[in-house]
Amino acid sequence: MKSPAITLSSPVIRFRLRPIRIAELSFLVFLIAAMGTPLLFLLTGSFNLAAPGKPAVYGFDNWFRAFTDPGTLSALWMSFLLSVVRLIPAMILSVMFAWLIARTDMPGGKWIESACWIAYFVPDFPLVLAWILLLDPNFGFLNTLAKSLPFIDRAIFNPYSFWGIVWVHTSTGGIWFKVMLLVPVFRRLGASLEEAARVAGANTTTMLWRITLPVLAPMILAVSVLSFIRGLQSFNTELLLGTPADIYVYSTKIYDFLHREPRAYGEATALGSVFLFVLAILLFFYWRCLSGNKKFTVVTGQGYSTLRVKLGKWRYVAFTGCLFYVGVMMLLPVTFLIIGSFMRRYGFFNITSPFTLNHWHNMLADPIFLVALKNSLIIASVTAIGGILLYSALAYLLVSKRTVTAPLLESLCWIPHVLPGILLSLGVLWLFLATPLRFFLYGTVWGIAFALILADSPVTTQAFKAGLLQLGSDLEESARVSGASWAYTYRRILLPLLAPIAAAVGLMNFGSALTSISTPVLLYSHQSRPLAILLLEYSFTGELERAAALGLLITLIIGAMMLIARKLGLQLSGSD
Amino acid sequence: MKRLIMFMYVLVGFSNAWAQTKASDKEWAAVIDGAKKEGKVVVAGSPDPVMRNDVIPKFTARFGIPVEFVAGRSSQIVSRVETERASGIYSIDLYLAGPDTSANELYNDKMIDPLKPLIAMPEVVDGSKWKTGKVWFADPQEQFVVRAFSSVASLLYINTEHVKPDELRNIKDLINPKWRGKISTEDPTTTGAGANMAARLLTQVGEEFVKNLYIEQKPVRTRERRQMADWLARGTQPICLNCREDDVRPLVKDGFKVLEIFELNGAAPTINGSPWMLTVANKAPHPKAAQLFANWILSKEGLETYGKGYGSATLRTDVDESYLNPGNLPKKGVKYFDDTEWKWIVGGRHESRDKVWKILKTR
Repeated sequence: MKSPAITLSSPVIRFRLRPIRIAELSFLVFLIAAMGTPLLFLLTGSFNLAAPGKPAVYGFDNWFRAFTDPGTLSALWMSFLLSVVRLIPAMILSVMFAWLIARTDMPGGKWIESACWIAYFVPDFPLVLAWILLLDPNFGFLNTLAKSLPFIDRAIFNPYSFWGIVWVHTSTGGIWFKVMLLVPVFRRLGASLEEAARVAGANTTTMLWRITLPVLAPMILAVSVLSFIRGLQSFNTELLLGTPADIYVYSTKIYDFLHREPRAYGEATALGSVFLFVLAILLFFYWRCLSGNKKFTVVTGQGYSTLRVKLGKWRYVAFTGCLFYVGVMMLLPVTFLIIGSFMRRYGFFNITSPFTLNHWHNMLADPIFLVALKNSLIIASVTAIGGILLYSALAYLLVSKRTVTAPLLESLCWIPHVLPGILLSLGVLWLFLATPLRFFLYGTVWGIAFALILADSPVTTQAFKAGLLQLGSDLEESARVSGASWAYTYRRILLPLLAPIAAAVGLMNFGSALTSISTPVLLYSHQSRPLAILLLEYSFTGELERAAALGLLITLIIGAMMLIARKLGLQLSGSD
Repeated sequence: MKRLIMFMYVLVGFSNAWAQTKASDKEWAAVIDGAKKEGKVVVAGSPDPVMRNDVIPKFTARFGIPVEFVAGRSSQIVSRVETERASGIYSIDLYLAGPDTSANELYNDKMIDPLKPLIAMPEVVDGSKWKTGKVWFADPQEQFVVRAFSSVASLLYINTEHVKPDELRNIKDLINPKWRGKISTEDPTTTGAGANMAARLLTQVGEEFVKNLYIEQKPVRTRERRQMADWLARGTQPICLNCREDDVRPLVKDGFKVLEIFELNGAAPTINGSPWMLTVANKAPHPKAAQLFANWILSKEGLETYGKGYGSATLRTDVDESYLNPGNLPKKGVKYFDDTEWKWIVGGRHESRDKVWKILKTR
C-alpha cells in the first residue's frame, strides 16, 4: 500500500524531471551542433591535403609539417614559460584585489574595481605601444628619467625581452580579467563562515587561507584554467615585443600558418590541437579538485550576512597598494594612449605642433563609422543578453547534479576557448554555409552575435556555475515547497542572487563583443561591419592614431555600459 | 586612280574606326544602364584608406552606384570566398588583390573570369592611353589579371642624420659591421614584404650576402610596419629595408631627414605592380556593375585617384605624375628587376623564399 506522501510526491518528481531532461537534451544537441561541428570541420580539414576546391585527399602531412617545423617546440616551450610566469603572481594579486574590494572595508574599493573594468577593455595594441614609449631602451620616458639620476648611466628597462613581455602583459591582460570575475563571487561569500572562524580564534590570514579560498575554489580554479589557456594563446604583445628580440611563441607559429599564402589552415589546426590537449589535462584536474563531498555553498536560507572584514589601520595601506598598482599598470600607459590619440604622430613630442584633433575628427567623419557603431551596439547587446540567458541556464543544469551528460556538456562549453579566434570564425563560417542558417545568419549582425555568444561560453558558463555552486539548495527547495514553479523560483530567487554575476559577465561579453576582431573577421559583410573590424583596418594600414582614438571611444562606451550594468545588477540583487 | 583607291581605303578605315567608337559608346552606355539596374558592386581588397576615402566616394558620385568594400588580409578574404563558393554562394564581383594572391590563388584556383572581353570604356580601350600600348594583362593567356601600376620600388630608407647617403653606395655596404643592429626589416621568416625582399636579394646578390645581412648584421625584425617607420624617424634603426612609402611620407612632411633609396650598385633596381592587380570574379553577382567598376578603375579618373592616394606610378599616359617622387618613375633604358613578373611570382620567388627560410631557420 502506497503512503499518501509518496502518492503526493510522484507527480511532482515527474513534473520536475521532465523539463530538465528536455533542457539537457536541447543543450546537448545545441552544443554538439554549435561547438562540436565547427571543431569536427576543422579537425577533418586538417587532414585534407588537397588544394582548395579540389577533391579531398586525406593524410597526416599537415600535422607532420606543423610539428616538424623548426621552432615549433621552442615556441611551445616559450608560451608555457610565459604563461606560467604570468599566471602565478597575477592570480595571487587578483585574489588579493578581489578580496580587498569585496570582503573588506578598504576605502575606494568601487573605484579600484571600476578601474579594473576599464583597464580590461582598453585595446591592447595601442597600449603595448604606450609601454614601448615608456620603456624603450633608447627613447623610453622611464629610462630617460632613470638615466637622469647620478648613479644610473644606462637603460634599466627593456620591453623587448622575456621580462618586458611579462611586465607589459601584466598591464594589458594581467589581473583585470581575473578581478572582474572574482569580485562577484567574493561578494556573495557570506560572512557567517568568517565570523565563525573569528570566534574560533582565527586571524585574518588564517581565515583567508582556510575558509575563504577553499570555499571559492571553483571560481579560482576556473579563472586559473581560463587565464592559463588565454596566456598560451596570447599574441599581440608577443608580436610587438617578442619579434625584435627573437622571442617567438606558439600563437605566432599558428598566426604564420593562418596568414601564409597559400593558406595553411590544416597546419594551424594541427598546432591548435595542442590547446585541446592542455585543456583536457586541466579539466581533469579541475574536476578532480571539485569532486567528492566538498561543499562550496555560502548562500543559504539561514542567516545570510555580507558583513565585511575590518582591516583597521591596514585599510589605508591596502588602498595605497591597490592605487599604486592601478596607477602604474593602467593609468600611466592609458594616459599615454589618450595623449597619443591627440598627437599628429603617436609618441613624437618634438615635431612642430605635435597635437591635433584630426584623428578624432576623421574617425567620426568616416562614412562607415556610424553604421559600424550601430552594428557594434546591436551585436554587443545581443551577445550580452543571449549569453546570460543561455549560459545561466546551462550552468544551472551543470550544477543541478540531475544531468547525466554534465561532463560532456561542460567539455563542449570549453571548446571555443581553446580554438584560436580565426579558426573558430572559420568553423562557424562552415557551420553557417553548410546549413540553412546561411539564409538568415550569414553576413548579418545576428550571425556575428551568434558566433560571439559561442566564443563566450567558457567564461560565462564557468562564472554562473561558480555563482550557483555558492547557493544552497534549501533556497530553491523552500520556494518549491511553497508552491512556486521552477520559472518563478528562477526569476524571484536565483536570478536576483545571480544578478551581480550576470551583470559582470554580461558586461564582459558586451565589451568583448565590441573589441573582438578574430571572431567576426570571416563573418561580417559590408552592412554588418562592426567597429572592431574598422579598428583592424586602421591598424592594418598604419593609422595608429585613429586606431587609438577608436579604441578609446570603445572603452568609453564600455565605461558607460559599466555604470548602467552595475546599477542594474545591484538593483536586481537588492544589495550594495 | 591609285590616289582614289587610297582615299577610299582611308575613308573606309576611318568610318570603320568611327563606327567602332560609336559602337563602344553604345555598348558602354548599356553597361552603365545594366550596372545601375544591378544596384551595387562588391569589391574585395586590402583596407587602404585611399579606397575608403577617395575611390569609393568618387565612383559612387560618378555613377550613383554604391560600392560594398570587403576589406581584409588577402588570405582571410580568399578563405572566406572559397568557403562561400563551396556552398554555392558567390558574393564578390571584383578583387583588387596583391600579385601573390592574384596569381597563386585567384588565377590558380580558377576563381576569376577573363577580364579582357569586358574592357569597353573608350578611354581604357584606347591603346595610346597606356605606356605599354594596351591594357597589360600579366597572366600567360593575357586575359585574366590586369596590371595597372609599375613603380620603381624603394630598396631602403635611411635617416640621414645617422647614415650619410655616401656611406651606402653599394648593396654590400649594408653588411658593414658598423650597421650591425642598425637595420630594421619586416620579419623575413614569414610570408610578406620581408621574405619577398630577402628572396629578391638572394636571387640578385647571392646566398652569402643574405646570410651576412639577415644573420650577422642582426637586423631588428618586426611584423608591425608602423614600428619600422618610428624606428627610422627616431634613428634607433636608421636603415629600414621594408618601410612603406605611405608610412614614410608623413615623416618627410614633419621634417624628419628621411631619404628613399631606389638603387645601390650591385643590385638591379626593382619595379613592381603595387598596390594591386585587378581581376573579376567568375559568377559575379553583379556582372555589369563589375564590368563598370573594372573599366572605371582603369580610367584616368580611377587610376589617378588611386595612384595619388597610394603614391604609385600608374601605367596610363594621361595621369599627372607630379605627385610622385621622381625616383618612383621607371626610366627608359634602365634594366629593372620586375618583382611582379608572373614567372617570378608563381615560381622563382617561392623557391628563393624557401631557401631564405632554410638559411634563417638553420642559423
